[in-house]
Amino acid sequence: MNNHEEEWMAAYQKGDKEALEKLYGRLKQPLYSFIFRYTRDEQLSIDIVQDTFMKLQDHKQNYAPEKGKLKSYLFQIAYRLMVTKLNRRKKFQSLLPFLVPRAKEESQHINRMTVRDAVAKLPDIERAVVLLFYYHDMPQKEIARILDIPAGTVKSRLHRAIRQLKKELEGDFDGS
Amino acid sequence: MDHDPLKEEPYLRSKLDEYDVDVPDFPIKTTRWNRFIHLLASPAKDPLDSIVSVKGGLMALKIVPAVGTAGLVTLHALFFL
Repeated sequence: MNNHEEEWMAAYQKGDKEALEKLYGRLKQPLYSFIFRYTRDEQLSIDIVQDTFMKLQDHKQNYAPEKGKLKSYLFQIAYRLMVTKLNRRKKFQSLLPFLVPRAKEESQHINRMTVRDAVAKLPDIERAVVLLFYYHDMPQKEIARILDIPAGTVKSRLHRAIRQLKKELEGDFDGS
Repeated sequence: MDHDPLKEEPYLRSKLDEYDVDVPDFPIKTTRWNRFIHLLASPAKDPLDSIVSVKGGLMALKIVPAVGTAGLVTLHALFFL
């Protein structure tokens, strides 16, 4: 499956525009899901996926398969764009709080902690590790490359995140 | 091969599986204008929320402009008449 992605990328680097469409069709969904689960902001997630593919097009010759899978390469671009945008948004929010778009809030009336809330409550870097590991089947080494942290840190943060998720969803665990 | 710490957590796995994401349909490219329109259309925090939610805040919101205008008129009258 992944081989296709690398093949399509090679074709795109040689000028095949259809190959880019195929890549977009294949990788739009995982990229969007990762960003959305991280930020819970639909418009921001769309913007980041589009910016990621813009960046891929602008620097298409920068990708080399020896450096790793194309999927990881795109996740790395998307993660960096997301962190930059979120930091910029935080600064903007402190200056002009009423101009910052508010993400759609889901029902706050439910007392029970949902898995979405529990994931959102995780510290940023732990959330990224869990999302990449569980929802995108990324090996710890690839996660380390995407997040630009040592592999040992990925392991410890994954364990910490699992512990916290279990704690947050404690009520559910008791009920099971 | 990585050790999977979630392997021994079937219940946590089942909870995580509940977190579905619906991916909307959107094109590969957008224009700056479209982004601007989306920004304008997105809900933002009400800047008067903190005033309105306080007891008497709504009344203050009505009175403050009138008092301000009266003050400005007075200043204008003092300096220019």
